Amino acid sequence: MRHAWIAAAVLAATLGAGCATKKGFEVPGQAFGCPIGDQKIASMEDLVKAKVVMEGTRTTVLPTEMRCTKTGDLLKIDANLNNDSKVVKRISYKFRWMDREGMRAWDEEAWKPLMLYDNSNLMVNTVAPTNKVADFRLILRSQE
Amino acid sequence: MNFARIPRFALAAAAVALAAGCATDKTRYGDERAVETVTNEFGSTDLQLIAESMARSMQQTSAIASGNLPIVTVQEVKNRTSEYIDTRALTDSIRSELQKGGKVRFAVDQSGLKQQTGEIDRQQSGYYAREQSVERGQMVGAQYRMEGNITSIVKQVKDTKDVYYKFNLQLWNIRNGLLEWTDEKEIRKTTTRG
Repeated sequence: MRHAWIAAAVLAATLGAGCATKKGFEVPGQAFGCPIGDQKIASMEDLVKAKVVMEGTRTTVLPTEMRCTKTGDLLKIDANLNNDSKVVKRISYKFRWMDREGMRAWDEEAWKPLMLYDNSNLMVNTVAPTNKVADFRLILRSQE
Repeated sequence: MNFARIPRFALAAAAVALAAGCATDKTRYGDERAVETVTNEFGSTDLQLIAESMARSMQQTSAIASGNLPIVTVQEVKNRTSEYIDTRALTDSIRSELQKGGKVRFAVDQSGLKQQTGEIDRQQSGYYAREQSVERGQMVGAQYRMEGNITSIVKQVKDTKDVYYKFNLQLWNIRNGLLEWTDEKEIRKTTTRG
């Protein structure tokens, strides 16, 4: 009788686990709220690799975390930039905006200068300029 | 011995002077969106940063984001810095960014009112076909007015000059006088000699 109760409990737990939804990537075509299209993104590292582009002089400053959400009908992006070196780093960044067809949804943005203290993080956030934006890239370059 | 050296130096100096005199200026097109740090006075990067930051922030306010295309008029941005800044260029850039975003319409502002009414008067002068001429009393008033100011703090010691700018922009509801939105953009630039 006792064994039967244990077996029932194990079965219930298994069934419950089977029905539970997998957290993190619930919405198809999104990872951490950011649009990814049909790309395979399994981790934050993958997302950063997919969304960050270096142009000009490369910098060691990189986002450690990126998250997206919607404010009204506009895409909102938070990117946590990390300087893990022992010196102050100066970089510039801009966002590039694409529409559903992969065409540019907005003019090229101005480079925005940024100073990061040694061993520090800095949150960069922005909002898409128009609701036509479906995807983005974060462009980084060194200003040293 | 020393006398023999002097003409050599003089010759070298003359050669350098000649070379400098013959040097031609080279003009190239650059990236208009690049970070500009030629001096620490107000520059193109500051203008672009302020315009983009303000327009993106304003687009998120409920008055604009509601999607019913509110009508805004641009009023003065006061320059409270110690240097000359074309504040009209700033508001023009903010207006362009907002208009392109497609969430706001702009009514003619005070600086353009004379041209606007002048054109209506011209069409009503009797020289134009009446059925195609615009009538008086058809202009649409704004629901919101946008105004702001830019201030600076400049500090200088022997070899270091520090400039801090603060740009503040506000969106006022004309009907009830309520402040619907306000935001600031701060910029710091430091120049050290040597």
